[in-house]
Amino acid sequence: MTTSREDLGKDSMNDSGNEVVQERKTVDALSASDDPGRRHIGEGGLNLKPSGRMPALTSLEQRSGGDQTVGQFSVEDAVFSCRDVNVFYGSKHALKNVNIDVARKQVLAMIGPSGCGKSTFLRCLNRMNDTIPGARVTGSIKLDGSDIQAKGQDVVQLRARVGMVFQKPNPFPKSIYDNVAYGPRIHGITRSRADLDDIVCTSLQRAGLWDEVKDRLNRPGTGLSGGQQQRLCIARAIAIQPEVILMDEPCSALDPIATARVEDLIEVLRESYAIVIVTHSMQQAARVSQRTAYFHMGELIEVGETDRVFTNPRHRLTEDYITGRFG
Amino acid sequence: MNRRTIRKITNGLALCMSGLATAIGLFCLGAILWTLISRGVAGMSIALFTQNTPPPGGTGGILNAIYGSVVMTLIGILIGAPIGMLAGTYLAEYGRASRLSSVIRFVNDVLLSAPSIIVGLFIYELLVVRMGHFSALAGAVALAVIAIPVTVRTTEDMLNLVPQGMKDASTAMGAYPWRTITSIIYPAARSGIVTGLLLAVARISGETAPLLFTVLNNQFWSTNLRAPMANLPVVIFQFALSPYKNWQQLAWSGALLVTLAILILSITARVVVSALNPAGGKQR
Repeated sequence: MTTSREDLGKDSMNDSGNEVVQERKTVDALSASDDPGRRHIGEGGLNLKPSGRMPALTSLEQRSGGDQTVGQFSVEDAVFSCRDVNVFYGSKHALKNVNIDVARKQVLAMIGPSGCGKSTFLRCLNRMNDTIPGARVTGSIKLDGSDIQAKGQDVVQLRARVGMVFQKPNPFPKSIYDNVAYGPRIHGITRSRADLDDIVCTSLQRAGLWDEVKDRLNRPGTGLSGGQQQRLCIARAIAIQPEVILMDEPCSALDPIATARVEDLIEVLRESYAIVIVTHSMQQAARVSQRTAYFHMGELIEVGETDRVFTNPRHRLTEDYITGRFG
Repeated sequence: MNRRTIRKITNGLALCMSGLATAIGLFCLGAILWTLISRGVAGMSIALFTQNTPPPGGTGGILNAIYGSVVMTLIGILIGAPIGMLAGTYLAEYGRASRLSSVIRFVNDVLLSAPSIIVGLFIYELLVVRMGHFSALAGAVALAVIAIPVTVRTTEDMLNLVPQGMKDASTAMGAYPWRTITSIIYPAARSGIVTGLLLAVARISGETAPLLFTVLNNQFWSTNLRAPMANLPVVIFQFALSPYKNWQQLAWSGALLVTLAILILSITARVVVSALNPAGGKQR
């Protein structure tokens, strides 16, 4: 990477002053012992001591109203609107009656313990569950008002509008240029080479990768470092101008510096796209998102403004999870 | 005796047994190669490659047999490879979990291990009887039938080696499966597929039984695909069983030639793997 550590720190402070403030508030509320000026990268942020109790099951039984999600699940300017979404993998009921909206130009973070259904839900939004044999999705998932589950829905068109970034960076075994040009080519977005060059250049610039790769666009994308590969995958996803970008733990395979770069990138991308991000890092959710949804055993337990969820969780399970008592 | 001693002895015993087994295998291979070379080299001459099979006692080579083998192997692989590759693609991608796939996979495995003489009989019934005579075409089809299950298996295995994440990435970009297969999966599995094809060529170029029932043999030069054609395996079979010294010598030389050709193909396959995998075989 050509950018030094100092540059990175400066950039993120300048670009996202409010983010730091927000994070400080969050962390203060949760753990008074933490140095508020520190920027938390990776898993080192919260120093909370588990109380030793495992409240998961008893709390679930204590919940009143069964399937009621705590918090405000609908928003005014929704790009995705999901109602009563259920997912079955064979006989396994992986997602239960989920109601949630995804707002335009906002980041929605989905947190929860492993196997809680957050990735499953993410894969409903671009119908990637179709590729899993035995998977069945019911309920209504509307993108700009039209049901993406409908029979006439063209999956290819849907996926052109809803891009995805995966947990493990997965560049194609092609050149950096061809990786980014793949989407525009398969969707026939442009015919002229000059336009394509332009799209590739802009996408790489927006993904913050251009300066690092502009001299070696013809080299294989697999030769880049992990963090660069993930930004290449983001460039590839935004090259077809989607409306929504889904990110499935995009930083879990990256080191703290690469993570910081991707998080800064998410902050920038939010100006143009709706972003849904699955993450295991609560600090990351607090840093990058405006709304947070907490999943537990296939149910959406609580959803709301990120600030509110982290400082004042209303549901017992949410509180237990974000304070580190379990999960 | 304590536990540790028992473990040591068991380990030593297992090591000895596997070492012995390896030695026996290598010895057989070495013995075969040595016999072939020592007997075959004597007959290696320009005439071997420039003259047709001679009558008993005369002089000659095996040019017509070499030509016949090359032609039939090529036609066989040209027919068999596309069918095998497409079927393998279906198994690995389109029909990954379908019931039909598991049936096809099972039948393919049966075909893979079926005695090749059965394939010869099958083509004999199907083509030779209907055409009324032996022909090179029937031989090529028989070889294709043998090449198909090999190609199906290697193609499926190689496509399965391509990381699922890479396929998902293409699908999530909105690519139709066929686009994903041709632009992403085939290039990623290229070296493996090419190796599989070369090994299929090696496999069918040494087959004798199916050719006995389909092309038979020809003492003379022939390029007619609708007529019997000379070919190495059957020439070796015939000449080796004959009482004539010159024929026996040609059979040894022919056998050496076939073995060398297969050896070269296998080595080429290995070289291709490393040459087409610029990332240093990262896929493995």
